[in-house]
Amino acid sequence: MTTGPSGVGIGWRSEIAGFVAGLPGLRFVEVVAEAVAPAGPLPDGLAELRGRGVTVVPHGVKLSLGGAEPVDPARVAHLAGVATALDAPLVSEHIAFVRAGGLEAGHLLPLPRSREAVAAVVANVRRAQAELPVPLALEPIAALFDWPDDELDEADFLTEILDATGALLLLDVANVHANARNRGGDPAALLDRLPLDRIAYVHVAGGAEQGGFYHDTHTDPVPAEVLDLVRELCGRRRPPALLLERDGHYPPAAELRGELDALAAASGYPVVT
Amino acid sequence: MTVLAGDTWGVPGPVFLRWYLVAAVVLVVGALVYRWRALAGTPVHDGGPLGPQQVAYLNGGEQLAVWTALGGLRRAGAVGVRPDRRLTTGGPLPAGVTPLDQAIHHAASRGLRSRELGRDEWVRRALDELRDGLVRRGLALDKERRATLRRGALLVGALLALGFVRAFAGMSNSRPVGWLMLTLVPLFIAFLLLNRVPWRTRAADRALRELRRQHTWLRPSAAPAYATYGPSDAAMGVALFGTATLWSMDPGFAEQAEIQRQAMGASGSSGSSCGGGSSCGGGSSCGGGGGCGGGGGCGG
Repeated sequence: MTTGPSGVGIGWRSEIAGFVAGLPGLRFVEVVAEAVAPAGPLPDGLAELRGRGVTVVPHGVKLSLGGAEPVDPARVAHLAGVATALDAPLVSEHIAFVRAGGLEAGHLLPLPRSREAVAAVVANVRRAQAELPVPLALEPIAALFDWPDDELDEADFLTEILDATGALLLLDVANVHANARNRGGDPAALLDRLPLDRIAYVHVAGGAEQGGFYHDTHTDPVPAEVLDLVRELCGRRRPPALLLERDGHYPPAAELRGELDALAAASGYPVVT
Repeated sequence: MTVLAGDTWGVPGPVFLRWYLVAAVVLVVGALVYRWRALAGTPVHDGGPLGPQQVAYLNGGEQLAVWTALGGLRRAGAVGVRPDRRLTTGGPLPAGVTPLDQAIHHAASRGLRSRELGRDEWVRRALDELRDGLVRRGLALDKERRATLRRGALLVGALLALGFVRAFAGMSNSRPVGWLMLTLVPLFIAFLLLNRVPWRTRAADRALRELRRQHTWLRPSAAPAYATYGPSDAAMGVALFGTATLWSMDPGFAEQAEIQRQAMGASGSSGSSCGGGSSCGGGSSCGGGGGCGGGGGCGG
């Protein structure tokens, strides 16, 4: 097994595989687990990165850990297979649901922060953990609204799930910013109440203000506020690794390198470009 | 069979067949050995990495080299296309351009259509220069070398003709010609194979295979983010994977400029791409490794 994620990384996508391969200092990437077939050969770019000793973390998006029904064993088996194929030190998934009653939402949907939801997530996380060969990190998602029957706040909700399952935390700094911006609240205060020692790595992504809301688009540049929040976080307790997520509308290489460098500067980790 | 007055041309069948076989084996083996040596080429790492236009020339001939230069210039914003489908310049030439870039940029400034580029005098001269460079590096074959290679096939063809005439004469003479006919079949196959003379060497084949492996991320199926990659990456995409790269990078330009649509496969062959006019001998046929093994069977 490779070492855990460290330093500044970037989400590996086939569209920018050539750019990622050309980053000399890169130690860590993340790949969407559903894009890798565990049985077949690895995508060429990923195989090359693995050959260079770069850590590749599979990131699931379709497990639906927050669903009321048990997680699909086939999907857990796929995630486990990808982890083995990539020799990954851990895998990550979202605290969200993507399907309910047999309907696919095609999106990550937020859960109500109720005790019932905590119980459902914990049960599913334990089911998944039982089948996974490596630790699981959980990522809370951005939400534009609060459910009316929220019993817990964001920090308590997360802490309860992590305590009950022993899972690691994948914190999305842009989501923290988005939630604070859209639902009110102080992002720094939320950082104070999260179990920062449980962070495996953090996500940093770009977004855009639109119609009075901040949208976590992953297709825009990382705004200064999010980088400020990265600095706040690293000032409290620096996470082992930070990952730039970009999922479309890819900018010129110089701009992407600039974002990676900004992330390195904000965190104090070595530049990878 | 005894020697009879009825022997065709006064030479008994078995005697003719024996000498005919000897001649066939000597000719075919000789041609194959010569071909094997002539097509070896010089490994690429001896002369530094290949540029996209060189790769394009080796992969698909002149036409692909033109599309590749056009793709790089388009990605750099140096050429555009007008509503009447004539090319135009979009900006100054970027630094580090090749003579072919300059020629095409100049042609665009004169409003040529993309399909006329290959006939433009400046472009022709730049393409000749490109080919000469590749010949000097031991990656492509010049006209003389290809003609010499065809001479081997010509000799085999002459022997084949002799065999056919003999068989025909023998048949008219009511002599048995079964064994001779049987000999003519593999000889005919050898003739066809030797006639296909590639325009690149085995060293070039290897270089192309290696480049394709290194650049899988430029495959159109990976939906490369051309905005992230620069002009030379875009050009390499065209060079290795055909104009499908241009079509996915800039469909508006590709359509307006009437760029011929073509996708190039992963295999060593240049597939359907052969747009390169006269230079298109048939990349896949490259007698190279496998072909020669089969030929050896003929001699045995």
